[in-house]
Amino acid sequence: MKWLKLAIKNVLRNRRRALVTILITAVGVAAILIGGGFANFTYVSLKEMAARSSGHLIVAHKDYFDKEESVPMEFGLNDFSSLAKKLKSDEDIRYVIPKVEFTGLISNGEKSTIFMGSGVDPKYEFKVKGPFLTIDDGNILSKREKENNPQVMLGKKMAKYFNAKINDSLTLLSTTVDGSLNAIDVTVQGIFSTGIPELDKRSILVNINTAQSLLSTDKISNLALHLRETEATFSKYNKLTREYADLGWQTWLDTAFFYVGVKELYNRIFGLLGFIIIMMVFFSIYNTVNMSVVERTREIGTLRAIGTYSNEVTRNFVLEGLVISFIGASIGISIAALTSLGLSIAEIQMPPPPGRTSSYPLAVDIPVNLYLITAAIVTVVCIIASWLSSYKASNKSIVGALSHV
Amino acid sequence: MTNIIETKNISKQYEQGDLSVSALNDVNISLSNQAFAALLGPSGSGKSTLLNICGLIDKPTQGALYFCGENIADASDKELTTIRRNKLGFIFQGFNLVPVMSVYDNVEYPLILLGVGKKLRRERVTAMLETVGLLPFEKHLPDQVSGGQKQRVAIARALITQPRLVIADEPTANLDTQTATDIINLMYTMHKDFGTAFIIATHDERMSSHCNIEYQLHDGALQ
Ligand SMILES: Nc1ncnc2c1ncn2[C@@H]1O[C@H](COP(=O)(O)OP(=O)(O)O)[C@@H](O)[C@H]1O
Ligand SMILES: [Mg+2]
Repeated sequence: MKWLKLAIKNVLRNRRRALVTILITAVGVAAILIGGGFANFTYVSLKEMAARSSGHLIVAHKDYFDKEESVPMEFGLNDFSSLAKKLKSDEDIRYVIPKVEFTGLISNGEKSTIFMGSGVDPKYEFKVKGPFLTIDDGNILSKREKENNPQVMLGKKMAKYFNAKINDSLTLLSTTVDGSLNAIDVTVQGIFSTGIPELDKRSILVNINTAQSLLSTDKISNLALHLRETEATFSKYNKLTREYADLGWQTWLDTAFFYVGVKELYNRIFGLLGFIIIMMVFFSIYNTVNMSVVERTREIGTLRAIGTYSNEVTRNFVLEGLVISFIGASIGISIAALTSLGLSIAEIQMPPPPGRTSSYPLAVDIPVNLYLITAAIVTVVCIIASWLSSYKASNKSIVGALSHV
Repeated sequence: MTNIIETKNISKQYEQGDLSVSALNDVNISLSNQAFAALLGPSGSGKSTLLNICGLIDKPTQGALYFCGENIADASDKELTTIRRNKLGFIFQGFNLVPVMSVYDNVEYPLILLGVGKKLRRERVTAMLETVGLLPFEKHLPDQVSGGQKQRVAIARALITQPRLVIADEPTANLDTQTATDIINLMYTMHKDFGTAFIIATHDERMSSHCNIEYQLHDGALQ
């Protein structure tokens, strides 16, 4: 306590210099936290989006993820309803949604194009997609559609390609499980966009029954498991893969290429920026303590002469560095926290990231960990900087220090 | 009874490039508990060099130094520091108080190094400030008191740990005549009251009246 008081007094000795260092530290800490918080917000959003579009866990036939089917649904799941029921009984699993993935040609009689279709259960599918699927026109698939009048939802760009309006009729053409061709007439129920142009050009959504009858099968491609907590994904994955070893399993991360790519890029950018900022803080503190050491050479000699150990002298300078970094970091943390709060109120929109079409809110979501890690790094950096700049002076000749002017 | 300090033929050379300056030559002194010693000699005669060696902040290039009967030639920096904080006190020509510490804090500092408890520290510092007549100034910073008062603070700081020996290097050189006399008298009183040995480098002839030993240095050699 008395050493801390002494350190504070010594820091206040040269207020302007201390203030500059405190400000550099504060701005540095704030920049790291805000940058990191922005990156984190992006990661969380992309993760949520990926998890919601694929399901946290996907379970399928053992070979589904590794091998190519020679005919459609070769690696489909047969009696899935008992499996679904069993999985559903797990407390942590909110939804178990069957899906049929299929491809084929879609045509309006005049022109046609390749589609990638998903047969989904309208009861759950749109619930889990939530804000990550935008309906541009029309409606989502009906929970109960009339027989003989199956519905389709088109990606925005595909709708544009056909110049399709709601209630227009289109034909889906695909290969059945036994290799023959089959066609089905569908009515446009809605137009959606995912935010990814490539998907909006090729994706269509139909009721799972429509997909099954097009392929003449009772099988499904896979079951998407939606958990209550995204964080539980990997522990659940470990548990279920052991329990159901005869099935194929994937997590949302296996298909979240965009998430992985953005995360790698941002980690690199923000990591480098963080490193540069930390170095700035380092040199700033080093310089401040060093100037202080030089100015107080005679005082160091005096304190050493009257019986202060050299490591006690060094420790006092380290304490001074810590006082500076503590004040700086506290201000920086406050700035970052206020910025994060302010942005959550202001709702500023960011331009769409590469490969996306929709903008998103600028938000800074700073995890508690980042506060702790940043504070720890700044503390360590400051200890090293002030130790390095005072160690030599504390150990040099006392007589020399005493005659220093 | 062993002497506090005993030097055996100590010499000190400073190397300056090719040049070797000899600051001390075969010096033998010994200081007992009762010593109130004056170290006289013109400027450059080696007084500071000898005091630094006696104060364990410098080492001789030749010869041996015995502190309380022990040869300290092989002592580490840490061991020497421990001896200094426990058994030595320093008074400098330029006062050398810590400017950010109050008068009280400056005097208290050596007791903190010794790990003396807060309550006992308060008692001892207050008593010491009383002795040197600075109790009303305890909250002042060094810059807010006069030169003579600063040197009183320094004397209080040197004696607060009840050291065996106080090293004073020209303690009155920066003071006017009257203040210098007061300081000399104060040191003498302290020597008498606390039984602390003093070795004082000085030009001041008035110091001689109190001294029981006088060393006269000339060009690094005792006369
Ligand atoms: N660090 C040093 N380097 C070189 N010469 C020194 C150094 N310190 C002192 N001297 C020389 O040693 C001699 C004695 O100096 P000093 O002990 O300071 O004398 P005094 O205190 O009696 O004035 C002088 O000639 C001085 O120039
Ligand atoms: Mg001198």
